[in-house]
Amino acid sequence: MRCADCHDAVNAFVDGELLADEQRDVREHLATCADCRREHEVLVATTRTLKEGLVRHRAPDVLKARIRSALAQPDTFAPAADPPRRSWMRLVAAGVVIAAASSGLTVATLRQPFAQQRATTDVLASHIRSLMPGHLVDIASTDQHNVKPWFNGRLDLSPTVPRLDSLGFPLIGGRIDYVAGHPVAAVVYGRRQHVINVFSWPAADASALAPSTSAEKGYHLVHWRNAGIEMWAVSDLNLAELQQFIAALERSDSTTR
Amino acid sequence: MAQRDVERFERIVLPHLDDAYTLARYLLRDEHDAQDVVQDAVLRALRYFDGYREGDARAWLLTIVRNCCLTWQRRHRSDRLAVPFGDEVIERISDSRETDTRAIERSERAVLERVVAELPTEFREVIVLREVEGLSYKEISEVVGIPMGTVMSRLARARKRLASALGLDVREAS
Repeated sequence: MRCADCHDAVNAFVDGELLADEQRDVREHLATCADCRREHEVLVATTRTLKEGLVRHRAPDVLKARIRSALAQPDTFAPAADPPRRSWMRLVAAGVVIAAASSGLTVATLRQPFAQQRATTDVLASHIRSLMPGHLVDIASTDQHNVKPWFNGRLDLSPTVPRLDSLGFPLIGGRIDYVAGHPVAAVVYGRRQHVINVFSWPAADASALAPSTSAEKGYHLVHWRNAGIEMWAVSDLNLAELQQFIAALERSDSTTR
Repeated sequence: MAQRDVERFERIVLPHLDDAYTLARYLLRDEHDAQDVVQDAVLRALRYFDGYREGDARAWLLTIVRNCCLTWQRRHRSDRLAVPFGDEVIERISDSRETDTRAIERSERAVLERVVAELPTEFREVIVLREVEGLSYKEISEVVGIPMGTVMSRLARARKRLASALGLDVREAS
């Protein structure tokens, strides 16, 4: 074998891509030629450095959650068709809208206490901050049996963490945040490209409050109070789907409680 | 598409998500862009899933991811990453709490990542497919859409550049 042939074949030799007799020819040439041997050594050192040094990335949980969420959407792969909504969901969502319209909204507009205004500002700030890289969750998990116990001992309440994957709202994780002067639980769900933050903390006022909606800076905020717990959900998701999410959350809450 | 097909897709294609994300990270050099493009690529893959018969599901998915990355780059052509991860690298190297060996290891790794990031795309993709993903020449030729001879010559040229950038081709004194 000539040096020029060896030069052409040495990469395939290192990669084990030559036929057995070609492999043997290169090996024999390397044994007799110092220059080609040198080229071979440099090549071996280079591929070893690359193989050992280059990072194999793991797909982040948020990406997995987003993909699972998209796969659970019946309209993901039929973009032309009118998305068929499950009728019971529509009923539940409608129920929330009616409840909000009949009581929650009036309450919210008639007496907007200072604490409420502060909570709105803080909840929105927390949501926006959570969207910065690395701030979304302290515990990233799609399993509610990891997320729920994580809050134990960190907070004086155990937030509701139902699995809503089947409805297209995969769990992403949880974190602790500060809202209106005290630590609160933030449980994070996904919906396609959107993130939903659900905040909860013990309420000072024990009376129940139906969901009331507000919009600020392109985000929807929904506030309600249930069983002595203040609840907020914030997302840039459209309002109908956010209400659908809250209906599902409340429904699973009443069955687990 | 029936639920059964979606389940088959999840079983056959989703196990290769880490490989898909790795390729996108190296091609786009940005973790958020990589996430968006991989999500788009996976949903495209699902739409084309009828066209997938039997064979190498990983190479099939990587082909789609690669095409989505190149399309994305054409659409967002900007050289905002002339120096890919500058601050982070300097911060890591100067972190005095680390032991010397670990610091050297980290800085070597950072230099390596940077040298690879600065390769032209056509070299970077064959290097990542071969050295990180471990694909055969035949698989690389399918993913990139070039003959096997071209795979070999591109790999050779890319490695030569890297050896030189990393100082591995310097003739020893002996």
